[in-house]
Amino acid sequence: MLDAFSRTVVSADAKGAALGTEDLANLRKYVADANKRIDATLAITQNVSCIAADAIAGMVCENTGLTQPGGHCYPTRRMAACLRDGEIILRYVSYALLAGDPSVLEDRCLNGLKETYLALGVPTSNAIRAVEIMKIATVAIMTETNTGRKMFKGINSGSGAQCQDIAAEAASYFDLVTEALS
Amino acid sequence: MKSAVTTVVSAADAAGRFPSMSDFESVKGSFDRAKARLEAAEKLASCLDKFTNLAVDAVYQNGSYEQANKDKCVRDIHHYLRLINYCLVTGGTGPLDEWGISGMREIIRIQLLPTAAYIEAFIFIRDEIKINEVMSQQAETEFKGLLDYLINALA
Repeated sequence: MLDAFSRTVVSADAKGAALGTEDLANLRKYVADANKRIDATLAITQNVSCIAADAIAGMVCENTGLTQPGGHCYPTRRMAACLRDGEIILRYVSYALLAGDPSVLEDRCLNGLKETYLALGVPTSNAIRAVEIMKIATVAIMTETNTGRKMFKGINSGSGAQCQDIAAEAASYFDLVTEALS
Repeated sequence: MKSAVTTVVSAADAAGRFPSMSDFESVKGSFDRAKARLEAAEKLASCLDKFTNLAVDAVYQNGSYEQANKDKCVRDIHHYLRLINYCLVTGGTGPLDEWGISGMREIIRIQLLPTAAYIEAFIFIRDEIKINEVMSQQAETEFKGLLDYLINALA
């Protein structure tokens, strides 16, 4: 598993060069944005059940057959498995966001996920839709563009508007999930 | 690889939980030290050749090692200092552990190279070179901590 720091190191080692001023510029930005990054991660961790449940509910509403007998979310045991998977994906996205690098998400969550779903007969098109809804919800909560109240309490007084860049980064991690499943 | 954030994430993943408040505190703590670390890494990168040459010259001065091996010694010390540069960047001992310590000591021993010479060189860098002339006090502390770690691992 890598983070933003070790990713830089691994690529420098391939060249056999020490890391000087120019290479460190990106990392300095990562360090400077640390508080925003922590706030953005908090936006996920404080709203996990809400994001996951809404996404699965949205997926079902668009495809009501899913919860009917014979549907993929019937009986409730399978619906519960679906909610659990939504939370697991969110968990790995939150790790990747905190680390500033997608390797943890790729190695520990996405690697083999599609094959597992195919083997278990989980419809990946529905799973992708749920991930899309989670992405939209997460970005909205992070940037405070959701309707209604502010959904998270960060450690800084900073507002969601400052989390734009990091929300875009989070969105890219959700895109990786979508890519892995399609 | 062990670094500032991966240790926290690994522990959270092993327990199957989301990053907690104490995880954020620990990440924040390592970010607070990051400024000094990155400064140390930057300054070390610019002085890498100078430090290497000073240390190797000092080790070879007393004539107890074969002069013919000097350039290889320079290469190795340079290699270790580069790994310390990486460790300063990652905020953990990952790069030294994975690329410098595991297996490296065995290689040095099997080729009958004197580990004492390496240790002497790093002790020279730690104690004799005026590191504080090129970097701040905090950066120097970070750098010396890793030098100590390496010296202990080689000893």
